[in-house]
Amino acid sequence: MRSSISKIFIIAVSLSATAPSYGMESLRGVLDRMRSAPSPAPAAEQRATETKPASETPASETPAAEASEAKPDEEKPAAAQPPVVRVNVAAQASNFTQPWRKNPRVIRQGLGVVLVDGRILVTAELVADHIDVELEKPDTAMKAAATVEVIDYDANLALLSAPSADFLQSISGARLDETVSVGDRVDIMQLEPNGRPVTTPATVTTIEVGSYPVDENAFLLFRLSVPLQSRENSFTLPAFKDGRLVGLVMQYFGPTQTATLVPAPVIEQFLKAAAKKPYAGFPRAGLTFYDTRDPQLRRYLKLPDGAGGAYVAKVLPGSPADAAGIKVGDVLLSVDGRAIDQDGNYQDERFGKISLAHYVSTSVEVGQQIPIVAWRDGAEVKLEGALAPRDRSRMVSQPYIFDREPDYVVVGGIVFSELSRQFLREFGRNWPEDAPLKLVYLDRFQSEMPADRGRIVFISNVLSSPNNIGYEGLGFEVVDEINGRPIRSLADVATAVDNPKDGFHRIRLAEDPGLLVLDVEGSKADEERLKKQYGLDSLRRLESQD
Amino acid sequence: MLFSRTARVLAAASFLAAPLCAAEPAASMVRISTTSQQPDYNSPWSPGSIGQGVGAGFVISGKRIMTNAHVVGNATFITVLKEGDPNPWEARVLHIAHDCDLAILQVYDESFFEGTQPLEFGGIPALESEVSVYGYPIGGDRLSVTRGIVSRVDFITYSHSEVDSHLAIQIDAAINPGNSGGPVMQNGKVVGVAFQGFRGDVAQNVGYMIPTPVVRRFLQDAEDGTYDRYMDLAATYFPLLNPAQRAALGLADTDGGVLVGSVFDGGATDGKLRAGDVILSVDGRPIASDGKIELDGERVEMAEAFERKFKGDKAELEIVRDGKKEKVALEMDRPWPFEMQARSYDKRPRYVAVGGLVFQPLNRDFLDTRKDVRTRLRYFFDNFVTDHLYREHPEVIVLSDVLRDPANTYARPFTDNIVSKINGKDIRTLQDVSAAFSEEREFHVVELLGEGRPIVLESAALPEAEQRIKLRYGVMQPQNL
Repeated sequence: MRSSISKIFIIAVSLSATAPSYGMESLRGVLDRMRSAPSPAPAAEQRATETKPASETPASETPAAEASEAKPDEEKPAAAQPPVVRVNVAAQASNFTQPWRKNPRVIRQGLGVVLVDGRILVTAELVADHIDVELEKPDTAMKAAATVEVIDYDANLALLSAPSADFLQSISGARLDETVSVGDRVDIMQLEPNGRPVTTPATVTTIEVGSYPVDENAFLLFRLSVPLQSRENSFTLPAFKDGRLVGLVMQYFGPTQTATLVPAPVIEQFLKAAAKKPYAGFPRAGLTFYDTRDPQLRRYLKLPDGAGGAYVAKVLPGSPADAAGIKVGDVLLSVDGRAIDQDGNYQDERFGKISLAHYVSTSVEVGQQIPIVAWRDGAEVKLEGALAPRDRSRMVSQPYIFDREPDYVVVGGIVFSELSRQFLREFGRNWPEDAPLKLVYLDRFQSEMPADRGRIVFISNVLSSPNNIGYEGLGFEVVDEINGRPIRSLADVATAVDNPKDGFHRIRLAEDPGLLVLDVEGSKADEERLKKQYGLDSLRRLESQD
Repeated sequence: MLFSRTARVLAAASFLAAPLCAAEPAASMVRISTTSQQPDYNSPWSPGSIGQGVGAGFVISGKRIMTNAHVVGNATFITVLKEGDPNPWEARVLHIAHDCDLAILQVYDESFFEGTQPLEFGGIPALESEVSVYGYPIGGDRLSVTRGIVSRVDFITYSHSEVDSHLAIQIDAAINPGNSGGPVMQNGKVVGVAFQGFRGDVAQNVGYMIPTPVVRRFLQDAEDGTYDRYMDLAATYFPLLNPAQRAALGLADTDGGVLVGSVFDGGATDGKLRAGDVILSVDGRPIASDGKIELDGERVEMAEAFERKFKGDKAELEIVRDGKKEKVALEMDRPWPFEMQARSYDKRPRYVAVGGLVFQPLNRDFLDTRKDVRTRLRYFFDNFVTDHLYREHPEVIVLSDVLRDPANTYARPFTDNIVSKINGKDIRTLQDVSAAFSEEREFHVVELLGEGRPIVLESAALPEAEQRIKLRYGVMQPQNL
């Protein structure tokens, strides 16, 4: 797939800044697979047995002197303890194609960074859909259960807390780095099985705004050149410089030996936001823009020579940009007093020219009024607006759903689901090609739909029973109306089927065959049989419905 | 009637050339050699690549040769050889039916037919009965005969156009490239024309022939000098097997009938049928709830009743609409109205090129040039008919290429997007593109579906750019409408 088409939810990124995220394999793929086991217990055992020989006979590439030095753990001074703990996660995602099912359990093992306040920082991906999160001290292998306090999948960050302050007592927390720039050397930390830290030197090759793995939201990221080895607990790895945290590795691409980092400035903003309850998330503008380098476009727009400007290509309905009165075709000249250049960059004190998206996500407080100067119809207009976190409740198709089970409604054996990208991802790595085309299209171009479209309800399965004979070939048809009620959510489906007319459920589809009918009595009578036969606890789950 | 994209079916034209020898029924066999020119949808202004092909044909009454459309499609020069005569004779296409993969050739010099024996057509052979396939397949030079039995008689997609489905007979005799157009014989009569098979890695011992009802229909249609194509309902219909669905539509269990899903604009049923209608019978023949009718003592797809119609024929339907029975008289005067999903032949690609921006209508041939297809293009192609996209876009115009030139440096990232407006005017056909650009103005502004940023071309820079592009890319004609 071309990466340039997946821009809908990139809140502010220029065309040239779109990251080639499709080619990247996350560490989950590269390293975690080696450690994955069907259940948490064997994985832990396996590691414990591996530990012994490793500490007795050092790996061949390890200098003998260093190895013997490390042998007696108790002799090590406490200060040598790096600010990391192993984080072992048992996770299980729901199956979105058969919403009553769970996908196989997985074990993810990463390193968490102990912060000064005693909390532990990890990537959100590490703890997504967690059942159990366990902390393990590298030196003593002491374990404790952790709680996930705050999680932000957009920024791919999460904060964990240990059950008691004692647990991490011997470890002094890490501070965030504020100096790293392109060309600098940083150290990626991994742990050997015996708990000894190993660092791999890495070079920061690029600092830019790009899309993060979970969604396609654009944030600041660092790209590193680094030859990482597969070791345990490598799902999330910290990068340090002079003992300060530079960022967390979130993707590693083996063939080119490159990694991407969630960098300290994004972490800093996350920690700031996490200090407030409830957690609100990162401020977003809700627009996409293009560069204005094209001289023909500039002359057409009568943009003054030498001026910059970012061409607004899309404004999400109901977004802060929409509320501020920004329109498609406006050219943003300055935001909060920062001049915007032809590429949509501003001059950052630390990083120099960098995308406006970084400023919006990390330098402005949610709710703070900021002045905007735009170019419209050959003249400057002054606007003002306040940034807000993305309002996901308005979205037609959710970009991701973690930590909860998908909703569904079964009527007469027909299973109704709501479209989400999480559902589409069930079709595998190549889902944009392999998932039902119409649903992929509706997800991708959802921002082009009328503001009141609501969610897209479709038939995800037919649990065959005598009552739905003739419908067994259905799959992925979008539902328009049931029993005369327009369907804009699964809650609408529930209401509609609770109010049938003259003994029939009439289901109108947005496509062929157009009309399905179920017998109300027959559907009711089928309920127990369906539950028993297909092993469903309930024929309805409406947990996320308003 | 809807169609799936199946690329697995292998059309059987071979690319070998060699002499041959006689076999039964040698006196009727014709070896057809063609020089053809494949249109190049990547560079639509280019005349296309030239290739050679070999296929089979056979002599039928009236000094005519029958073969497959795919043997002679896109042909620029055709010669025929008969058994025992070393001389090639130049032939030409008299009638060609791309919707059922059949063609009739004439030989310029009719003395070619001296000593040939026209073959006669038989009926539909019985299941399990033996048939012989004649042709010039790969693996040798001479006339080849293979033998097999009739495995199945069913509706399948004809891969020549990839959108038309007709009756076809599956046999277990090998049908390979070069067999195409050859007769399949039983008891001295032609019972089919060999035309397609599967690649060996997909299915073995599966070959298909065009049965005589389809062949006869083609001959009869062309009798007046013009082949009018198959007439089409241009509607979808679905079985009505669910009792509740039947009851809610006011049908008795004994009624039978199929549910009309969609009715497409510009077809034979446009204005006559509506989504939600139930068709109970066609020409007095009741339709079972699985969509089958009885025809000549056989249970066949209801489509078969319409397959047999010719342009101008009538069809009488009995339908149930809003619970009431009604009669609907159809004039079968229109073929399937949407050609973009079908492969096309004997046509040069249509395009408009302005300042290095190339605009082409979306169609199967165009799409086949693409490895990765943008989601929006795939959606517009696959759902063009079913989602009635043709109403807004009678032609889906794509910015198909940007020929690198200083005049269009910044337009490159926008290729393979759909054009919505040019110079403020809605773009519904390729003619609209040409017309919009002919307007005198300082800037030409191209707007693309779903892309907020327009492409701007300054008129002043265009004459020079056109000159450069003509020289560098060989775009001799700025458009072919």
